[in-house]
Amino acid sequence: MSVATPATPSAPAAGQPVLATERLVHVYPGGTRAVDGVALAIAAGERVAIVGQNGSGKTTLVRHFNGLLRPTDGRVLVGGEDAVGRRVADLARTVGLAFQDPDRQIFAGKVRAEVAFGPRNLGLSGNELDEAVGAALAATGLDGEADTNPYDLGYSRRKLLALASILAMGTPVVILDEPTTGQDARGVARVQRIVADLAAAGRTVVAISHDMRFVAEAFERVVVMRDGRIVLDGSPTEAFAEAAWPTLASTFLEAPLAARIGAHLGLGSTPTDEALLAGLDSAAAASAAADT
Amino acid sequence: MLQLSGVSYRYAGYSNEVLHDIDLRLDDGEIIGLVGPNEAGKSTLCLVASGLAPASIGGSLRGSLTLDGVPAAGLATHKLAERVVIGFQNPNTQRSGIAATVFEEIALGPMNLGLPVAETVERTRAAIARLRLDDLIRRDPQRLSGGQAQLVGIASLLAMQPRHVILDEPTAQLDPAGTRLVGEALRALATTGTSLLIAEHKTDLLDGLCSRIIAIDGGRIVLDGPTATVFDDPRLAALGVEPPARARLARALGDRGLEGSIVEDALAGAAS
Amino acid sequence: MIAGVAGRLVRISALLTLPIAISVILVSVFTRAGTHVLFTIGPFDATTEGVDFAGQTLVRLFAISTSIGLFGLTTEPRSFVLDLERRGLSPRFAFVALATLEAVPAMVERANIIASAQRARGLDTEGSVRARLRGLLPLAGPVVLSSLTEVEERSLALEVRAFGKPGRRELLWRMPDSTAQLAVRAILVLALIAAIGGRITNTFPRLP
Repeated sequence: MSVATPATPSAPAAGQPVLATERLVHVYPGGTRAVDGVALAIAAGERVAIVGQNGSGKTTLVRHFNGLLRPTDGRVLVGGEDAVGRRVADLARTVGLAFQDPDRQIFAGKVRAEVAFGPRNLGLSGNELDEAVGAALAATGLDGEADTNPYDLGYSRRKLLALASILAMGTPVVILDEPTTGQDARGVARVQRIVADLAAAGRTVVAISHDMRFVAEAFERVVVMRDGRIVLDGSPTEAFAEAAWPTLASTFLEAPLAARIGAHLGLGSTPTDEALLAGLDSAAAASAAADT
Repeated sequence: MLQLSGVSYRYAGYSNEVLHDIDLRLDDGEIIGLVGPNEAGKSTLCLVASGLAPASIGGSLRGSLTLDGVPAAGLATHKLAERVVIGFQNPNTQRSGIAATVFEEIALGPMNLGLPVAETVERTRAAIARLRLDDLIRRDPQRLSGGQAQLVGIASLLAMQPRHVILDEPTAQLDPAGTRLVGEALRALATTGTSLLIAEHKTDLLDGLCSRIIAIDGGRIVLDGPTATVFDDPRLAALGVEPPARARLARALGDRGLEGSIVEDALAGAAS
Repeated sequence: MIAGVAGRLVRISALLTLPIAISVILVSVFTRAGTHVLFTIGPFDATTEGVDFAGQTLVRLFAISTSIGLFGLTTEPRSFVLDLERRGLSPRFAFVALATLEAVPAMVERANIIASAQRARGLDTEGSVRARLRGLLPLAGPVVLSSLTEVEERSLALEVRAFGKPGRRELLWRMPDSTAQLAVRAILVLALIAAIGGRITNTFPRLP
C-alpha cells in the first residue's frame, strides 16, 4: 500500500528546511495574538507533531504554511523561499493541508470525484490522475467505495476521505489537523500507517493532535505550544520525560501512560509501550547479569 | 429503569436492519459504557434507547423499549424527553441558536415543558450547580470553547431532570482539557442517581466512570459485563476497541511476570 | 434614541428609495399627461403636472422606506420576537424567527472555513473569471450539504428539549415598558387617526 509519489515543485537546497518561520507573529482582526513569535524549522522528510490545548496557536501556525494566513510580523518560508506574494493555489503544490472537519470540504457525489478534485486543480489528468486517486483510496481503505456517495459513509470514513483527497495531491509536505479524532482503533492504526508510508516516501508530515499515544508512536519530533509560543521542542523521549511534565501540564497535556509507568519504575523516559517494555527487558537482563 | 427487549431496528428507506436482538437494561443510577468499532451501531443504539428512533426519525423497530415501566411506543417526543434525553458529539448542533446567555440556553428545556417560571429557574440553577458552570452563566453560548459548549449542552439536558441520560461520544471533538472537564462533570452527575449510557472510544474515560461496559459489533451486543471484566477481555482488541491504557499495560507487565498494581501506583503517583 | 439614528436613517432611506426614485422621476416627469410644459427633450415634454406627481410619489416612497428603516434600526429583534410570543405568537414561529436571525453569522463563518479548505486543495479564488466560476460548486456545495446533514441532528437535539411540545410556555423574559413609551405609542396612534381623517376630509394645505 503506497502513497502517491511527490509532485515536483522546486525542492529546497539540501540541508535547508522545507518549512520555516522566523519570529512569526499573527494577530487576528479582533486583536487576539494567536501566534506570538514562533521560530520553527522543519527538515524535509521529518515527522513532526504539534500539540497544545485549543487556543495555543497550532492551527493558526500551520495555516501560514500554505498561505491561508499571512504573517502580521516575521517571515514564513516554504521550500526555502518566502511565502509572501505566493498564492494559496501555488503553495498548495508544496503543502497539502487536511482540515479537521471533512464536512467543510466534501461536495462531490462520488468518492472518486471528491479525491480527484485536489490533484486536478494541480494539473494532473488522465492516467496520472487515476493513479494518484487510486493510490490515495487504497491507502485510506476506501478503494471499495470509489463510487459511493460521500455522505453514505460514516463520519470517520469521511474523515479518511478528506485525508485521501490531500494525499492524492502528492505534495512533498502533508499537514494533518487532528487526523485521529472520531476514529476507532483500526482507524487510528490506519492513520499511523499512512504517516509512516509518507515518511518512507520521503515526504514531510506535520500533524496537529491531542492524542499523546498517537504522537509518541508515530512521530519523531514533538512541538509543544502554549499561548502562541513554542515551549518545548524535541523527540518524544525528551517531550514526555518526567522533567517535561510540568511544561505539559501547563498546557493541559499529560504524557502517555507508558511514560508515567517508566518514570515510576525508574527506567528513564519511555514514551511508548515499546520503549517501556524494552526498558523492562533490559532492566531484567541487567539484574540477571548482576545476579550471576 | 430503561429496558430494551429483543430490539432490532431498521432505518427508514433502508432494507437491512442495523441492530439485531438487543437486550439492554439501564438501572436507575447505573453508568454504562458503550464501546465498539465505528459503524457497529453505537449511535443507532443510542437513538433507539432514547426513543427518538423511531419516534422522530422513523424507521422500523421490532421488540420494545420500556421507560420506567411505560412502553415508549407511540409516545410523542416531548413525552419521551421527560424521561430520557440524548446528547450528541458535535457541541454546535446541541445549541438552540436562540439564547443570548448560557443561563437562557439551559433554561430553554424546562421552559419548553411549560413549567412555571419559578420551577424553570430552580431547575436551571440546579443543573448549573451540578456541573459547576456558575462562571459561564452570562457568556454568549456561541463563544465558548468546545469543552465548555459540550458542558452547557449536557447541563441543558440535565435541566429537563430526566431519569436517563444518553451521551453519544460526548468528548469526540474535544481536546484533553475539554475531555477532562466533561469527565469530571459526568462523575458529578453519577452521584445524583441519574443513569447514564455513554458511547465512547476513549476507554480510559469510561474506565474510571462506568460500572458496566457493553461492546457492540455488527449491530449485536458481544460483551456485557462489569468494567474490569470487559476491559481485560482479550476479545476486545479483536473487535477493534482499544482497551484502556491501564488494562493494556497491566497485561504487558503481567506477561513479564510483573504486578499489575505497578500501573495503579504509577497512576496514583501522577495524580499527587 | 431617535436622534441617534436620525443620520443613519436618512441615509438608509435615501439609498433604499434611490433606484425606484430615478425611474419614477424619469417616467412621471416626462410622460404624465399635462399642459404646463417646462422644457422638452426630443419627443418628451416635461410638465409641471409630471413634476408634481413625481414629487408626491417620492415623498410617499420616502415615508415607507423611512418607517421600515426606523423599525429596523430601533428594534432589537430578539426582544421584539419574544414580546410577540408573550402577546400570543406561537413559540414555533418565535423560534424560527430567532433562529433565522442568529443563523447568518454562523453561515458566514462556515462559508469561510469551506473556502479555506478548498483553497488548500488548490482551488483558485484569485484567478480568471472562468476559474472562479468553476469554484462555485466546491464552495457552495459543502455549505448546503453540511447544513443539511446537520439539520437532522439539530432537530433531534431540539426535540429532546421539548421544542416540539404544543401549547404556550411561560417566558423567563419580560420586556420593560415605561409610561413614556406607552404615552408615545398612544400619541402615534392618535396622530395616525388624525392623518387619515385629514386626508379623507381633504383638510391638508396644498402645495403651490
